[in-house]
Amino acid sequence: MGVRVFRLNPAREKEGKFRTYHVEVQEGARVLHVLHAIHAEDPTLSYRYCCGTGQCGSCAVRVDGEPKLACMTEARDGMTVEPLNLPVRKDLVVEMEPALAQIAPLLPKGQAECPAQEQIAAIKPLRDCIECLACVSVCPAMEVAEFAGPTAMRQGMRLALDPRDSGGRIPEAIRAGLFTCTTCQACWKVCPKDIQIPGKAIEKLRALANREGLTLPRHLEIVQLVKETGRTVPRTETSFLEQVDEVIEPAGPVKATVGFFVGCMYNLRLPKTALDAIEVLKRNGVRVIIPHEQVCCGSPLIRTGQLEYLPTLQGKNIECFTSRGIDTVMTMCAGCGSTLKNDYRTPFTVKDVNEILTEIGIEPPARLPLTVTYHDPCHLLRGQGIRDQPRALIRRVADLKEMAVVKCCGAGGGTRSGAPDVSRALALKRDEEIEKTGADCVISSCPFCEFHIGTFSETPVKNVTTLLLEGYRKKDEGKA
Amino acid sequence: MRADVAHEAHVLVIGSGGAGVRAALEAVRYGDVLLVSKSVAGKGGCTPMAEGGYNAALREADSCVGHLEDTLKGGAYLNDLELVQVLVNEAPDRLQDLVRWGAVFDVTETCQVAQRSFGGQRFPRTCYAGDRTGHEMMMTLLEQLRASDVEVLQEVTVTDLLTREGAVVGAAVLDRTGRLEVIQADSTILATGGGSRVYDVSTNSATGTGDGYSLGYGAGAELIDMEMVQFHPTGAVYPYDARGRLVTEAVRGEGGILRNAKGERFMSRYDPERMELSTRDVVARAIAREIQEGRGTPRGGVYLDVTHLPAKQIEERLPVMLEQFLAFGVDIRKEPMEVSPTAHHFMGGLRITPSCQTTVRCLFACGEVAGGVHGANRLGGNSLAETQVFGKRAGEAAGRAPSRGQHPEQRQLDLIERRLEGLLSGMVNPVSVERKVQLAMWKGAGVFRTGPELTQTLTEVEKLGRKKLHAASKLNLAECMTVHHLCTTAMLVLKSALLRPESRGAHVRTDLTQAHDAANSPYGHTYLSQHRSGIEMKGGKP
Ligand SMILES: Cc1cc2nc3c(=O)[nH]c(=O)nc-3n(C[C@H](O)[C@H](O)[C@H](O)COP(=O)(O)OP(=O)(O)OC[C@H]3O[C@@H](n4cnc5c(N)ncnc54)[C@H](O)[C@@H]3O)c2cc1C
Ligand code: SF4
Ligand code: SF4
Ligand code: FES
Repeated sequence: MGVRVFRLNPAREKEGKFRTYHVEVQEGARVLHVLHAIHAEDPTLSYRYCCGTGQCGSCAVRVDGEPKLACMTEARDGMTVEPLNLPVRKDLVVEMEPALAQIAPLLPKGQAECPAQEQIAAIKPLRDCIECLACVSVCPAMEVAEFAGPTAMRQGMRLALDPRDSGGRIPEAIRAGLFTCTTCQACWKVCPKDIQIPGKAIEKLRALANREGLTLPRHLEIVQLVKETGRTVPRTETSFLEQVDEVIEPAGPVKATVGFFVGCMYNLRLPKTALDAIEVLKRNGVRVIIPHEQVCCGSPLIRTGQLEYLPTLQGKNIECFTSRGIDTVMTMCAGCGSTLKNDYRTPFTVKDVNEILTEIGIEPPARLPLTVTYHDPCHLLRGQGIRDQPRALIRRVADLKEMAVVKCCGAGGGTRSGAPDVSRALALKRDEEIEKTGADCVISSCPFCEFHIGTFSETPVKNVTTLLLEGYRKKDEGKA
Repeated sequence: MRADVAHEAHVLVIGSGGAGVRAALEAVRYGDVLLVSKSVAGKGGCTPMAEGGYNAALREADSCVGHLEDTLKGGAYLNDLELVQVLVNEAPDRLQDLVRWGAVFDVTETCQVAQRSFGGQRFPRTCYAGDRTGHEMMMTLLEQLRASDVEVLQEVTVTDLLTREGAVVGAAVLDRTGRLEVIQADSTILATGGGSRVYDVSTNSATGTGDGYSLGYGAGAELIDMEMVQFHPTGAVYPYDARGRLVTEAVRGEGGILRNAKGERFMSRYDPERMELSTRDVVARAIAREIQEGRGTPRGGVYLDVTHLPAKQIEERLPVMLEQFLAFGVDIRKEPMEVSPTAHHFMGGLRITPSCQTTVRCLFACGEVAGGVHGANRLGGNSLAETQVFGKRAGEAAGRAPSRGQHPEQRQLDLIERRLEGLLSGMVNPVSVERKVQLAMWKGAGVFRTGPELTQTLTEVEKLGRKKLHAASKLNLAECMTVHHLCTTAMLVLKSALLRPESRGAHVRTDLTQAHDAANSPYGHTYLSQHRSGIEMKGGKP
């Protein structure tokens, strides 16, 4: 099979280059076996491995851009193998020691009693880590902040859960950058051991910080607001809910009925975008039911570890849809969607607007003479696994030029309020990528991303549905 | 090349597996400790790969005597009694050390470390952390290592032990850039793990090339029972390039059933009483026999089946197996695995006293590189215990040993330098030599052995060992030295195998008939050093 492999010897050259090799391997061979075969012919290729069975974490590399364990990933003809996105020592070998040194040791209290079964059960999922550093290599917060990184946070939580440990893990985690994580979930999605670091470590550490009275003041304000208003965003203009009826009938025959969970941002910050979406849904035969008593989904509380008031919100939201007999609830905010799908137990199905529009099949819009790029909202891409649908919808209207990297814009996880420098630095990095595409406009599908990128980018930001609506408007103009 | 003394330490520990790190943590209580590891610390070696568990008699109903008897019986009575006593008596305390340091073992409802059944044991005495017990131990040890004052040199390969007047005074190492450096130490602890990588099919990590046996041999140490190689009965056969990968004994412990291609539960013919939970040597031979006699699967294995177990049990108790097989396209909840024997563990190794002193002054050994604990066959779960029990002992003995501050002999350093320079102008690709040795060993010194085949294989391996290896650059020197050690280790296995004129435990000579059983064997350890070799007769110590 043919493979492209990154080669760099920093002792001799500054820039790495790709070399293509052709080698023979057996059926079912892993990437590691391909590297062995190359090495047998070209002994100058450097790469790391030890166990060959996914247990030691030596061999993580990027295969076609994605961090993977070389020993467990099936080799593919035409694949590209690169080092992790960490300082390269040679070829595929990266520096591991600085990151490994961030993983805190347990400080024994001295007694040799085992934790109880429930405690063990809570610790275990955080204990599978093989210290491969795939997560560290993709973490956006580490690039711009003093942040010890995902696996260090995983370890922090593992220690916080262990009655044998005497360390003060919460203040330590805060010093190590606990509040700089945007909860983008990139670390979880690349982890070969599927360790859910944002949900099982970072948000949990933040919840412990909350109990110790260490929640950031800006985050405390959010809870105050939600308790008073049911919303985590203050009202500064006429809200979306104030502008719409409870039931919105489509223009033509009804193809589907959905309940609409609006979310604080579309309700209070970007109501116009939500109105655009309603126009698109109307046009495509979707009856939209909008219970006006709905409240914040609670995502900002979960992400910042303030869980006390969460059940109240969850109860109200579930009730407002079930009482109307709604079996499909549509979200348009990626954060709300991810929260309803992953942090709620709902008796109804939750779908993102991109899923709904894709499933019903939309009326073709006119094409606009635009080249746009698409920013994947973390909570849509990784939180809900939605990647292709928005892209396909965009391509119906405009030319899509992809950015070189998929990365968090810095809007999430409470960083915009709690760690504004980090949030800003990430947005500026994102803007650089946007600039590089030369696109006329950047499309996204999340109010946090739209608002945040909009603050820091010169390039206009639009929602997928707004773009579709513009396509329809142009179509109608053409007819008129 | 120029080798100055780059590091000095009271104790030098070679290897960052369970034994090495445990030794370092103990030794550092007495003085400066330098730990060197060929891999990133804790990643190399077989400790992080160990799945099944750690044996210790913890319960009222169990006893150290029971553990001792099982170990001796499993070891075909070739074990060093004193070492086994130490193992069984101290395994529980060393387990407690790990618990104190935060190891996350599975526990019972009453917060006791949970235990499960393992082959050849009368009591479920194998403590575990799911099926990643070794990984759990390694992580615990690494955390303590990071918190300690032990200095760690990562990705540094020891090429030779340095001696002065017959005592070890340190080691020559290649750093990660291929530069030769000298480490001087009052005491040196070898904890380099095993050597099953001398075989074509093996469960071992990349570092399991037997460097420590060769290093010890080179320094004049005596090795015992090097012919005793445990073939684990259940290694995966697919995909071919990942062959030999361990399918943990816990699969059988949890109730896995072995069947041949005809669907027969063949263990009933080999050990009707213990069936799948018989000792490893018995199961390995049974599987090898089934395959040899044409009752194997098309891929050359037999079936190991857990599909009758509840999916939840598989998910909770065998998560690593489930995940690994899923990655290779097999859902073990629904389909059987295919397995065949694979080289797994060296029971033999450097001869040690209960304080891990080798036959060479100032050189200590612990873990798989040392011999005598497991006799002719190791019980699953005894090695992890061994790493902790003897790791601590080696660390303590080396730490307590006096400071000497002796320099290595220049003559030896010159020789080492010249040899390394020779590699840069060598001719033969080390990878090809390694492959040939592995294939020859698999064919000629595998599960079943004969005198003529062993002799022929020895000739072959010695010939391969004399090849002028080529290092493509300084970065390849370590690899060449590893192949050199691999050849030496293979040779030690073959020579020892020829020294033992009987079948015993893992060593099976199909060309010999014998009247005695293991308990009544007239033979003791085989021994081998640069100075002498032979086999001990029972009763008479050499
Ligand atoms: C897949 C597998 C599963 C197992 N499961 C179990 C089990 O369930 N229970 C059990 O009791 N036993 C089990 N064993 C056996 C057990 O894991 C080993 O015997 C034990 O871990 C050996 O520990 P060690 O510290 O002696 O060596 P290792 O853990 O092998 O470590 C050796 C170290 O030496 C270093 N090294 C080697 N050569 C050099 C050199 N030239 N220079 C510098 N450093 C060097 C390596 O980098 C490594 O750090 C298993 C073995 C395998 C392979
Ligand atoms: S969720 Fe994103 S920002 Fe947070 S630790 Fe993981 S990768 Fe880093
Ligand atoms: S958390 Fe996952 S990705 Fe990160 S180092 Fe551990 S195993 Fe690797
Ligand atoms: S080589 Fe150990 S995880 Fe891949």
